[in-house]
Amino acid sequence: MQTKKITSKMLIPIVTAIIAIVFIYFGITKYGFMHEVRGPLPGFFPTIIGFLLLALSVLAFIGSLKEESPGFPVENWYPALGVVAIMLSTLVIGMLPSLALFVLLWLRWFEKFSWKATLIGFAVIMAIVIGAFVMWLGVPFPKGFIYNLIAY
Amino acid sequence: MENLQMLFMGFSVVLTLENVMVTLLGAILGLIVGAMPGIGSLAGVALLLPLTYKFNPTTAIIMLGSLYYANMYGGSFSAILLNIPGDSPAVMTALDGYPMATKRNRPGQALFTANSSSFIGGLIGMLILTFMGPLLADLGLKFGPAEMTSLLLVAMTSIGWLVGESPTKGVVLTLVGVLLASMGMDTLTGSPRFDFGNIYLLGGIPFTPFVIGTVGFSQVLKLMEERNKKVEANLNQKLTIKGSLLTAHDFKRLLPPAIRSGFMGTFVGVLPGAGATTGAFLGYAMQKTFKSEEPLGTGAIEGIAACESANNAAAAGAFAPLLALGIPGSGTGAVLLGGLMMWGLNPGPLLFTTNPDFAWGLIASLFLANILTLIIAVGIIPFLIQILTVPVRMLIPIITVVCVVGGYSTSNSMYGVIIMLLSGVFGYILDRNGYGVAPMLLAFVLAPLLESNMRKAFIISNGKLDIFFDKPISAFLLLVLFAIVLTPVIKFILRKAGVSKKK
Repeated sequence: MQTKKITSKMLIPIVTAIIAIVFIYFGITKYGFMHEVRGPLPGFFPTIIGFLLLALSVLAFIGSLKEESPGFPVENWYPALGVVAIMLSTLVIGMLPSLALFVLLWLRWFEKFSWKATLIGFAVIMAIVIGAFVMWLGVPFPKGFIYNLIAY
Repeated sequence: MENLQMLFMGFSVVLTLENVMVTLLGAILGLIVGAMPGIGSLAGVALLLPLTYKFNPTTAIIMLGSLYYANMYGGSFSAILLNIPGDSPAVMTALDGYPMATKRNRPGQALFTANSSSFIGGLIGMLILTFMGPLLADLGLKFGPAEMTSLLLVAMTSIGWLVGESPTKGVVLTLVGVLLASMGMDTLTGSPRFDFGNIYLLGGIPFTPFVIGTVGFSQVLKLMEERNKKVEANLNQKLTIKGSLLTAHDFKRLLPPAIRSGFMGTFVGVLPGAGATTGAFLGYAMQKTFKSEEPLGTGAIEGIAACESANNAAAAGAFAPLLALGIPGSGTGAVLLGGLMMWGLNPGPLLFTTNPDFAWGLIASLFLANILTLIIAVGIIPFLIQILTVPVRMLIPIITVVCVVGGYSTSNSMYGVIIMLLSGVFGYILDRNGYGVAPMLLAFVLAPLLESNMRKAFIISNGKLDIFFDKPISAFLLLVLFAIVLTPVIKFILRKAGVSKKK
């Protein structure tokens, strides 16, 4: 018998089925379904939706067996890795320098833009971040470990 | 008459320096975001949501409404000049827009046709909205919990079931959206639920980072595939405003299809699940039944006018159910509704009576946005090529940074960035597998309303289902729901029958 490789198309309904089971379980056991006097309890609605999701996940899984799964080129994940890198370096050097570093490295090192194009892109994005988010909205971006060490 | 008086009152709200400036800003950003292939109105509105935090709710929604509306104009630019639709409603525009720009060598006139038709369609949509919005709200006042439950079920099912490649996938994501929205606090008792002992989840999944991730950051991951694509305009002439003006004869050709599609598009926009894309398709299809001076598909003015007018009219028409019933017709509508709720406003039948300044101010702002967008859209014609050929490789880090700071600024904590990142990755995986995220967003926004109405209905009826069938409006809506659910099943049976007949 030929076994079929598990693809992302199959994985999605499996994950949604697990989500459904978790909501049904907690909905019934922890939050309650229906009370004679008080009517529907906090678990009522999520439990019904959970059962519907479970049934449809089974249908979607059966449907996924006939479908081709798409590929996920490694390169497509680079921006997500970039965000993780920004989050980690924020802890050390703060968010604004991390964002600035990300834009510079991405444009110059990864995309190989000329210095002129890199600096134009850098200026545009920093103008948006500093103008709109720092000056206009007054968002207190984290300053990072090094700044805190120097300042305090 | 009363509606017109209220509209004038709305203009008195809008015509302040701050509101005119944000309308202008929304129009400019909407045109740019709409023109750039691959961003779209949904991502545009989501990415700009954090920028509106400092405004009062009226000013904030005026900016987002103007941005959404201007987006419909902008989508046609890249469709006409590059044969790449900036947004899905502009797909049909490319059919005649690109040949008119390249084969007929009239790129400026093609842009002018799109702009003029968008203006006419939008104007018709807004006029109908002015009269129909309060009528719908009056009807909505008759709705109790049972009727609201049925209406919300129709709205959510129609988008999940009818939009996208597979009804099952659409409904699966609708249900996932409902469950994600139920995390945090119980809507009726306020007690914590599904927080899994996590202090952050106690407040539920924050709306803005979730939306920025699912539609904005997932778009960045998708754009990675297009980063090496070279975008070039195949034009033989320089674009100027003077050289783009239409002749009286051209204008005579565009007017009838623009007016027809304006009316049709508005009614399509009112229907949940239909929206601007369906409007544009139907507008073009309708034009096929009428006479055009040049055959459609070869650069006919009538073809551009029909779909551009219809998609702008549909965008305006979609505001009627959003404001009057609190039911968005599309993913972008859901983001706008989420924004309204975030600012403490509850769109629905009472909005026109409890917050007339807001409701009429928004409608008046659409009229203002229509005029301002037309002026800017004509004004930027000479610079369009430069705007449209900004390389995708440059946009990727820019949008990524906006996503990160947008996610952070909601809660001033890294929790927002984490939610943005996770929902972005989730949205990307879903999209690659043919699961459109719009139904999930709509369900995420509407779920609390659905749950509270459903539970109230059950409390009133002592837990009996009869309440949904005893009330005539609710029973009618459930019939509509039944018809929606059956539509793909019937389509499938008919397709099978057709195939076996051919065999």
